[in-house]
Amino acid sequence: MADDSLILYEEEITAIDALISKMLKSSEAKCGLLVDKDGHLITRQGFTHSLDTTALAALLAGTFEATKEIARLVGEPEFSVLFHQGKKDHIHMSIVGERSILVVIFDDRTTIGMVRLYAKETAAELALLFADISKNNNKRTQSSVTDDFASKAQDKLDDIFQD
Amino acid sequence: MVSINYSAREVCCKIVYYGPGLSGKTTNLQYVHSKVPGNSRGDLISLATEADRTLYFDFLPINIGTINGFAAKFQLYTVPGQVYYNATRKLVLRGVDGVVFVADSQTDKMDENIESLANLEDNLQEYGYDLENLPMVIQYNKRDLPNILSLEQLNKQLNQKGRPYFEASATVGNGVFDTLKLIIKIVLDKAKSAGNQKAASSFSPTKAEPPAQVSSPEQASYSTPPVVHQPQAVEAVGISQPVIQDKNMPVEQPVEVNEPVMAGAQYEKAKAASYRPYPGSENSEVVETKITPRGIQSGSTPLTGETGIEQKIITSEDNSDPINRSGKSPLMAPSIRSRSDSKKKKRGFFKRLFGIK
Repeated sequence: MADDSLILYEEEITAIDALISKMLKSSEAKCGLLVDKDGHLITRQGFTHSLDTTALAALLAGTFEATKEIARLVGEPEFSVLFHQGKKDHIHMSIVGERSILVVIFDDRTTIGMVRLYAKETAAELALLFADISKNNNKRTQSSVTDDFASKAQDKLDDIFQD
Repeated sequence: MVSINYSAREVCCKIVYYGPGLSGKTTNLQYVHSKVPGNSRGDLISLATEADRTLYFDFLPINIGTINGFAAKFQLYTVPGQVYYNATRKLVLRGVDGVVFVADSQTDKMDENIESLANLEDNLQEYGYDLENLPMVIQYNKRDLPNILSLEQLNKQLNQKGRPYFEASATVGNGVFDTLKLIIKIVLDKAKSAGNQKAASSFSPTKAEPPAQVSSPEQASYSTPPVVHQPQAVEAVGISQPVIQDKNMPVEQPVEVNEPVMAGAQYEKAKAASYRPYPGSENSEVVETKITPRGIQSGSTPLTGETGIEQKIITSEDNSDPINRSGKSPLMAPSIRSRSDSKKKKRGFFKRLFGIK
């Protein structure tokens, strides 16, 4: 797991976005995020402009990991679905394959049942997609992290990190 | 595990500050948060107890701008230092790209430092990390306090592998940025060497050397002339967001009644049960169902369901209705007319029902 980089190409993200959009339309949910279990946001769809999705992704992944530990304590491998109920907005999280979490945020325009139904369907489709991606992942090279990437990053850091 | 997203064009790295309790991990992040310009960082999220002790983790995202067309993003995490929080500490280490070990330089804290370092190695091994290759920088914090150990003593106990280290005093910011810059450099160097290794795996069967095996801050530091990239960085931060926003626009249109993907009566039933925002709209619908059959079909065909009774009444009263008697279609302003009609009819119904003359 340690050296298992996640590299996603544009067409894959487009395919993932399409699946999430379809789910949002069907379930009438507000927005959907796909989050890596490490806390990175993979993609987002729907009404996300008012959300700090980076922080949300980190916290949701943290929640999921914590719950996994709870599951272990009660003798379950993991809880595959999590649901947070609020006054207006609610969050439904479900596991996708080995390493991602599908997060759906919705309000009272729809119901938990609808969201759950479509999220389950979409999670299964996404899991298949990720299985394909990980199959091809070994052949890929990290072309974006080129020789000058690190040095250019250092220049930027020098600008930003000024005491 | 450096995450590269070609669609959003971003490279994302996770850096974890590890160390014993009260060694200054959160203070490191707080200093970075206070000094980095707002457009290059997100909010500092602290999951802490009421006494400001980290309970789960602190989180600070940093976006340093676009490099070679890719937004370079770093997520800084801290772990809870207290011994009994090992379960959550381990969770935060998941998917880590680089570790900063923040050691407390005070004399009486050495045991805690050693224990925490051993704990870090245990946890990393459980995740299957190769400790030799994982980017790591040691920060000897609290150098401004009086009762501290010398660098030699600290290195002897905590840095037997000769990792790069820095002296720091996180409350005033000494050494904080140096540590962060170096860990980012090592992480990116490693990502690069991993990429090269993948690309030319047949030619380089040996493991990639850890890029920095330096043991003094002088050697560890890197002196690149400061290039003014600030406008570009600001622009890049601005750009990376709208790209995603634009993509989202079509989806963000208010959702009207969508075409059901799961076709059939089941869907319609589920939808009808779940989607009735205003009770008033139900009434108007009912009124319409009452009128339309009467107007068009002149009450000749029986209706099904709930409206059956209403329909019956309507037909009985129809004979007294001058509009319908004429045989013409009463499509002209039906709603107003029908509302008063239906009230009348209802009264008639109740009168008959209770025998009122």
